[in-house]
Formats: sequence, C-alpha cells, structure tokens
Amino acid sequence: MNRTEFFLGVSAMLPLLLGVVPFGLVFGVLGISSGLTKTETILMSSIIFAGASQVIFAQLWAAGSTYFVIGSSVALINLRHVLYSASVAEYLKKLSFKWRIILGYLLTDEAFAVSIKRLSAYGESKPVHFFMLGSGLTLWLAWQISTILGVIAGSTIPENWELSFAIPLTFIAIVVPLLKNTPTIICALTSGIIAIFGQSLPWNTWIIVAALGGIFIGASIEKWNPRK
Amino acid sequence: MIWLVMVLTGLINFIFRISMFSGFRNIQVPPSFHRYVNYIPTSILSAIIASSLVTYNGHEISYDVGKLVATLIAVACALLTKSVSATLIVGLVTVWLI
Repeated sequence: MNRTEFFLGVSAMLPLLLGVVPFGLVFGVLGISSGLTKTETILMSSIIFAGASQVIFAQLWAAGSTYFVIGSSVALINLRHVLYSASVAEYLKKLSFKWRIILGYLLTDEAFAVSIKRLSAYGESKPVHFFMLGSGLTLWLAWQISTILGVIAGSTIPENWELSFAIPLTFIAIVVPLLKNTPTIICALTSGIIAIFGQSLPWNTWIIVAALGGIFIGASIEKWNPRK
Repeated sequence: MIWLVMVLTGLINFIFRISMFSGFRNIQVPPSFHRYVNYIPTSILSAIIASSLVTYNGHEISYDVGKLVATLIAVACALLTKSVSATLIVGLVTVWLI
C-alpha cells in the first residue's frame, strides 16, 4: 500500500465531488420517483456505477421501455469508456488481474480526468495505480452516499417541488460546456429535434434514433470540415 | 426482471471499462471510432433534455413556458459557471418562482 500516491489520488478527486454529489442526489430522488424501490435505486449505484446511464435506465424503465432499448441506450452512453480504457491501458497492463478488475470497475469520467495526467507523468517511476485507486474509491464512496441521501430525500420531498426537472438541468450542466464547436452544436440540435418529434415512435426507440442521428451528423460535419 | 437487466447493464459497463487492459485480448481502437464516440454524450443527453422539455403526440407540440424560461437561464448559468450545483439551484429556483 503506497499511502502517498493513494492520498494524492483522494485529494485530486475532492474538488470534482462538487459536481458529482448533486448528480448522485438527483439520481436518488429520480430512482424513487421512477417507481424503483429504495434497494434497487441504491444498489444500482454500485452495480452500474455511471451517472448518466443510471438516470437513463431509471427513466426508460419507468416509461416501460423494452430491455433492448434500455440496454442499447446505456451501452451507447458508456462506449466512451473504451477510449478511457485505451488511454490508461499501457500503464495498467502490467498489473495483476485483481488490480485490473478493481481499476476497471472504478474507471469513470472523473477518475480518468484526474488520473491520466498523473499516469502520463509518473507512469513509469511511481506506483500510480494507488493514485487511481484513491481517486476511484473517493468517487465511488461519494456516489454511494449521495445516492442514499437522494433516496431519503426522494421519499420525503413532495411532488410539487418539480424535482424531475433536476434531470434536464443536470444534463444541461454537463452538455453546455461541451458545445465548443459547430459540429457539436449541430449534433445537439439534431438530436434534440429528432427526440421531440420521435417521441411517438414505438418502444421509446426515439432515444436511440435521436442519439445516432446526432452522432452521425456531428461526426460527418467534422469529417467534411476538419477546421471545425 | 429489473435485477437481471441491471446486472447485465452493469456487466456491459464493466466490460467497456476494462476492455483495453483486460489482458485477454489486444484490441486496437480504429481512429474513426474516436470521432463518433466524441459526439455520443452530447447527442444522448441533448435528446433527453429536449424530450423532457417539449412533448409531441403525433399531432401537436406541448411545452411548459416556465420550464423553457428556466432552461434558458440554466443554460446561461452553465455557460458562466460550468457548475452542476449552481445550474441545478438556479434552474429549480427559477421554475419555482415562475
């Protein structure tokens, strides 16, 4: 156990919890209002352990979507982890299987964001896997606690507080800073418009159609116009 | 049934996360994959934002003016602060006040 690296990881994660804790609270509240039980909502945070995925899962489950739509939406939103996985792979390949399983489970947007700099700077000279463990566990713990607090709040807060509106608000806080160039803005608009007009499609397939439409448009514009 | 779907979904997530250092296979990511993956979060989250603000039943569009105003204010807040907490609070307070 390398405490120095571990606690460096913990402290690197702390500022990011400001964005994670409210999201966890929102998910806890949403889980209950979507008709999931307290146990289902709380355990989902360790079984799936991915913010946007859990929100989409709960919303689609509440809307009575088919398992295929739920599974493919969650898979699509999580495909980005393959890229994170590829970026950290060269530093983790030499670790034992047990370490790789643990660090794989703990690999999230936030853990990747704080770890990648440390890995690329000290990957060869220091036991940076303890850094990843520290940052990953800190995020994991904050996510579990905030979910539980959200579940408690969700069982007591009255419905007229409009807390379901917290979902689009949380997603706005994530998406707006990403809208930095034309292809991304057009991707967001395309997906939004398809989502609105596709809502009457059967089995909630609108979410997949809208997502793929936006991705295709964004990537195509980027390809035709590499200047962005 | 929900447990089975949840565990399978969690398993897919885990497989994605460990995919490139699982030790079972040496997989390479094609460059075009990056281009598509970069747009996934924006695209899915925008679809959810739009569908929770505006609904369409095949004939007519309906929306809540208060929520649209609160959304615009929240977008401005997200641009300025880049903070989840601030955007949540400003958006919710606006919708309560309207």
